[in-house]
Amino acid sequence: MVSAPLIEKLKKTAGGYPDQRSALLPALDMVQRENGNHLSKEDIAAVAGLLGVTLGKAYGVASYYTLYNTAKVGRYHIQVDTNIPATLMGGQAILTHCEDMLGIRAGETTPDGLFTLSEVEDLGSCGTCPVIQVNDVYYENMTIEKTDALLESLKKGILPEARNESHFGSECKVLLKNRGDISNRSIVQYRKRGGYAGLEKAKALKPVEILDAVKHAIVRGRGGAGFPAGMKWGFLPQDNAAPVYLICNADEGEPGTFKDRQIMEYDPHLLVEGIAIAARAINAKKAFIYIRGEFRWIAGILEDAIHEARTAGLLDVLDIIVHRGQGSYECGEETALIESLEGKRGCPRLKPPFPALKGLYGCPTIVNNVETLACLPYIMEHGPEAFKKIGVVGNAGPKLFGVSGHVNKPGVFEYPLGTPLKTILQAAGGVKGNLKAVIVGGLSTPILTAAEAETLNMDYDACLKAGTMLGSGGIIVMNDTVAMPPIALRTIKFYAHESCGQCTPCREGSVAVESLIEKLLSGCGETADIDRILHLCDTIIGSTLCPTGDAFAMPIRAMVRKFLAEFETLVTANP
Amino acid sequence: MKVTINGKEYEARQGQTVLQAARDNGVYIPSLCYHPKTGPAGKCRVCIVEIEGARGLQTSCTVPVKEGMIINTESENVRKAQRLVVDLLLSSGRHDCLACEQNGACELQDAAYRLGIERPTFTLAPKEQTDNSAEFVFREHAKCIQCGRCIAGCNATVVNEVLDFGFRGHDTKVICDDDVPMGSSTCVQCGECVQLCPTGAIVDKLPRGKARTWQLEKVETVCPYCGVGCRQELHVDRAANRIVRISGVEDSPVNEGMLCVKGRYAFDFVQSPERLTAPLIREDGGTFRKASWDEALTLVASRFGDVVKKHGPDAVAGLASAKVTNEENFLFQKFMRTRIITNNIDHCARL
Amino acid sequence: MTNDIAGIKAADVILVIGSDTTSAHPVIAARIKQAVRSGKTKLIVIDPKEIRLADYATIYARQRCGTDVAVLNGIMHVILKNGWEAKEFVASRCEGFDALKAEVEKYTPEAVEKISGIPAATLTAIADLFSHAGTGGLFYSMGITQHTTGVDNVKSTANLQMICGNMGKTGGGVNPLRGQSNVQGACDMGGLPNVFPAYQKVGDEAVQAKFDKAWGTKCSVKPGITITEMIDGAITGNVKALYIMGENPVISDPDQHHVQKALEACGFLVVQDMFLTETAKYAHVVLPAAAWAEKDGTFTNTERRVQRLNKAVQAPGEAKSDWEIIQGIANAMGAGWQYANSEAIFEEMRTLTPSYAGMTYDRLGSMGLQWPCPTIEHPGTPVLHREKFTRGLGLMTAIPFKEAAELPDAEYPFVLTTGRVLYQFHTGTMTRKTAGINKLAGPMVMLSDPDAAALGVRNGEKVKVSTRRGNIVTYASVTNKIGKGTVYIPFHYAEAPANRLTIAAVDPVAKIPEFKVCAAKIEKA
Repeated sequence: MVSAPLIEKLKKTAGGYPDQRSALLPALDMVQRENGNHLSKEDIAAVAGLLGVTLGKAYGVASYYTLYNTAKVGRYHIQVDTNIPATLMGGQAILTHCEDMLGIRAGETTPDGLFTLSEVEDLGSCGTCPVIQVNDVYYENMTIEKTDALLESLKKGILPEARNESHFGSECKVLLKNRGDISNRSIVQYRKRGGYAGLEKAKALKPVEILDAVKHAIVRGRGGAGFPAGMKWGFLPQDNAAPVYLICNADEGEPGTFKDRQIMEYDPHLLVEGIAIAARAINAKKAFIYIRGEFRWIAGILEDAIHEARTAGLLDVLDIIVHRGQGSYECGEETALIESLEGKRGCPRLKPPFPALKGLYGCPTIVNNVETLACLPYIMEHGPEAFKKIGVVGNAGPKLFGVSGHVNKPGVFEYPLGTPLKTILQAAGGVKGNLKAVIVGGLSTPILTAAEAETLNMDYDACLKAGTMLGSGGIIVMNDTVAMPPIALRTIKFYAHESCGQCTPCREGSVAVESLIEKLLSGCGETADIDRILHLCDTIIGSTLCPTGDAFAMPIRAMVRKFLAEFETLVTANP
Repeated sequence: MKVTINGKEYEARQGQTVLQAARDNGVYIPSLCYHPKTGPAGKCRVCIVEIEGARGLQTSCTVPVKEGMIINTESENVRKAQRLVVDLLLSSGRHDCLACEQNGACELQDAAYRLGIERPTFTLAPKEQTDNSAEFVFREHAKCIQCGRCIAGCNATVVNEVLDFGFRGHDTKVICDDDVPMGSSTCVQCGECVQLCPTGAIVDKLPRGKARTWQLEKVETVCPYCGVGCRQELHVDRAANRIVRISGVEDSPVNEGMLCVKGRYAFDFVQSPERLTAPLIREDGGTFRKASWDEALTLVASRFGDVVKKHGPDAVAGLASAKVTNEENFLFQKFMRTRIITNNIDHCARL
Repeated sequence: MTNDIAGIKAADVILVIGSDTTSAHPVIAARIKQAVRSGKTKLIVIDPKEIRLADYATIYARQRCGTDVAVLNGIMHVILKNGWEAKEFVASRCEGFDALKAEVEKYTPEAVEKISGIPAATLTAIADLFSHAGTGGLFYSMGITQHTTGVDNVKSTANLQMICGNMGKTGGGVNPLRGQSNVQGACDMGGLPNVFPAYQKVGDEAVQAKFDKAWGTKCSVKPGITITEMIDGAITGNVKALYIMGENPVISDPDQHHVQKALEACGFLVVQDMFLTETAKYAHVVLPAAAWAEKDGTFTNTERRVQRLNKAVQAPGEAKSDWEIIQGIANAMGAGWQYANSEAIFEEMRTLTPSYAGMTYDRLGSMGLQWPCPTIEHPGTPVLHREKFTRGLGLMTAIPFKEAAELPDAEYPFVLTTGRVLYQFHTGTMTRKTAGINKLAGPMVMLSDPDAAALGVRNGEKVKVSTRRGNIVTYASVTNKIGKGTVYIPFHYAEAPANRLTIAAVDPVAKIPEFKVCAAKIEKA
């Protein structure tokens, strides 16, 4: 049922977008919330009719995103992250414990309808694993004891308040300079500490002067690709009549990555200021923050900050909409994100045309990562030269590194690009036990052996040279208690689950790899299966529509090649 | 412009894609998701080629040709990628050709044949459902390769907006409306999806099991229903003297391949046992008896002659037809005007 | 159609009035929907039923059945009052503007709202949208023509298109959608009482001489009678013999009882068809005809495109192509015709039909040609009236609104209107013999939610529909897509024939029956 007041609310939400169909994702979410966390076919049809979307499109969207519950769930939806960082840090044990305590398996609902238990993918909280999400609330740093307490409380009908703390460190004092103090969320405090000075400076400049400064600073995209933001902006068409859109990519979903959260949750005005500067540079009147749907409370923090900035008259004509994703890793890819923002399934588009020429609603669009945009206030305030002084040649500025897995103090640490990996691992309290392998740029980057990681410096070029990528800077540490084949299986399961399904090598290749690794682990494998995995990976790389094929083929290939003996043992042990 | 494909120079036109240029020149590149009407989709990844100077492999359906472009469609890398895609598609579905309606007219089968793939390497769980709920269209998900041509046709060509993709990843499937059987959906059975499907995933129901594609002769004609004049192709089983199926003619400026439910599926009447097979003459008792053409024509001629003689030519009137050919209408009015000598001719243009 | 199908995508706005396009002309509807979804084209739908195309429309308006002249005059009133007309086009290409202007002066939106039920603001919005588009195309079908004011309605659509300067432009035009495969060709070929092929007038000396010479016979100079007059004539005894080829007037003509009486009365009835149709059952001689797939020849479609039919299968038994049968009768009457095939007839036809003169079977190929195509080099004519109208200046006509022949009253309180559904065709001679199709669409009467509630009728229940001509029993289809007080019945079904109910009142000029309006009553059956 979609109530009359909700219809009004939906219409208002839809009215905020240049095309009302963009409101499909938030509208389905709002309707689901009003109906006991369940999205019925009737309600999907009602929303479709309201927004002028075909029923097929609406259902296609509802069945695509994981946050929509087209099947009924219990009053408390317990979601346990078991992705790689979580697995390394005990997530699997928490899930098993929940199963035991609730008497149901993952994917089931208790007969009293109180609990639904789900095994979910990366929740963007890798530094604080194990993590359980109950409805909208994150419970981080979980232990068996804390889990028991949580379940007890829920059984009494009380959703306890979450107290989540994590380690952090800031060498550069650019991106995490305000991290320690929660009061920085308020604009008053932010300004007291010098906030919005960068924007004030930018306002005195012509757009092209801002562009030049950012170009000069060489801010390489912090989302993972490392493409210079200034150069990206430079691709926008000149003398163009269509509106230009700015999208902040806050769909942090790469396993091992939980950095953008630190900015948005603790220093939201830093991002708002960055967006305002970028929007001015590219002449955008409308900006979107596309944030992953699970970060609902962070979306609220951002909305508050935007409201404050607007009230303070800082945004001029700029309108910023916070748009929540609804559960799809793929939407981190910029064209999939644009599709999603248009109210569609998160399937990447063919490139070219690139978004700078034809993006959101076919208009010129710039998509920048949170961290990239958060660098802009510093550049405006202190100049590009100051920015370039941080880091090394060609890899300028500060970078957030999320460290998870087998370290003593997992967390997020801000260091100049080019900082030795060792230094960062030390900041994270050092490795627990003996280092076996490390993934340095998020799960999609090729794994490094301990030896390969020994002298690695953390910047884009050095990582490439080492046969991996800096990616998002999500560092996942594995000690020698880890067996690689199960890690490979859990990795490919994630990508098979997240594949949008659009192109063949990714859609079918991912499940083919998964089935082969499963076969090996089940003891039924043969040596040829290992060759088949490698053949699949070799061939898939470079053959998919978007980078997701590479994102699983490269790490799986690296895991198999570098730890081949472990895979071969699976065959020889079972003749 | 000139392009080089596999070491040989060919002519290509500005605005063509590499795939189109290759096809026009008779060079086979396997492709599945591309259809001239639905355009390049870049999804199936089977039309991959190497282009000198470009990084990595390129989908030939999306890359426009350029003067002097050097294209390789059969290098080891290209073949490896093409083979994997077809292998994966074969592995993930149930593409048993023996009883498949599309055998001989299947683009996946062609690709497997050209690439020399005998049987799939992997075994991936196929989607088992079939959908037999609709009157004229049969769907088998295990034969679907998610190329999206049917969806593009349903939404952008006939704009009936019924089909779409539902779910995701390996579970992705073509759904009707909110994933209901086609027979309970808003589908109007125009059959555009059938026409666009490269495999046997969406097929016409009427001809199932009736004739192999290669046994059918195709004859182009014009639809007998409304006045739009859609161009249709009748697929005829000569030996059985039967129309087995009808498809739309893609290059017709009238319908661009589209037909409606009547034009595509309402042809059974031709073979109806109720068809008249001989002239009938009413006997005195009021019942009809079969007669020879000679007898019938002589009777008609003499009775018309009598009326004209007795009551004058304007006592005879004739209805031409909005459903017969120009030639027949021309001859009908010529008959009335020159044999009866009357202008009492009309037809139901107004009805 | 003055324009071509391919040009639809070039329209900036399309007005569909009196056409349930997705049902009756689905592929044209697809073209219109494509244009709308491309973002270029805006759609306006005016129809008593909220047809499927209305879902794609920027504006949908529901008029009371039979008030189209008032509606179109009202739109023109708003356009002229605001000076939105195409002044240059009106001045240089048309005549009769002043009289038209004086007439539409009376049709204020408020006055039209009273007549048609379309809110004044909606009418104004339609005028605004339609007249401000670069190119506007107008499409109609039997919803415009099947009225006692059919000719007035058609002239009004032409008035509107001339006022907006939409004639002679790709994407514009007045576009009647022809309802049968070769209704255009049957007219072109002179299957009409007052004209020879290509609309050459009966009685015109030069025309008569031309045909007399070509055919070596003295043809009658007296215009013949129309179908409705033939039916009447059979009853009065003026028509003694009737030759019906491929038509089924028992189902297709108004006032079925009257038609049946006429056929019974007719002294000698010959019916030539594929089946023993409802009409053939009255015949003295029935001649078995071939189906479309069993013969060669040409059809002319709604955009005047002449296209070839190719024989695909053999006709059953002794059934023959209609042309062979006609030739057989003619020769039995001593004609000595020797047409070897349809091409031979076509060759003769084109020498007598100027608009087809440049066409040959070879030239038609698979794409066909659009008439006029006067010479062998002529490429055909996708858009008529480009530089000037066929008659020179476009004639605007002042048309006053007239009510339909039979309006609802206390005894028969509903307006009954008829038409087609997607799954059936015309009298069902073909579709009703096709398995599957009948499962998709059976007989029904569409009535509005409030009317159904007032009658205590639920969806799917049997109801009796009566008019002064007769009654039928059919199934209620209760919907909010039709206005209160109006009911709609598709006419395809012999078992529940809408034309047992319809009125035989006709347009005084075109003699077309008023299928779209008569008074009816509904009861639970």
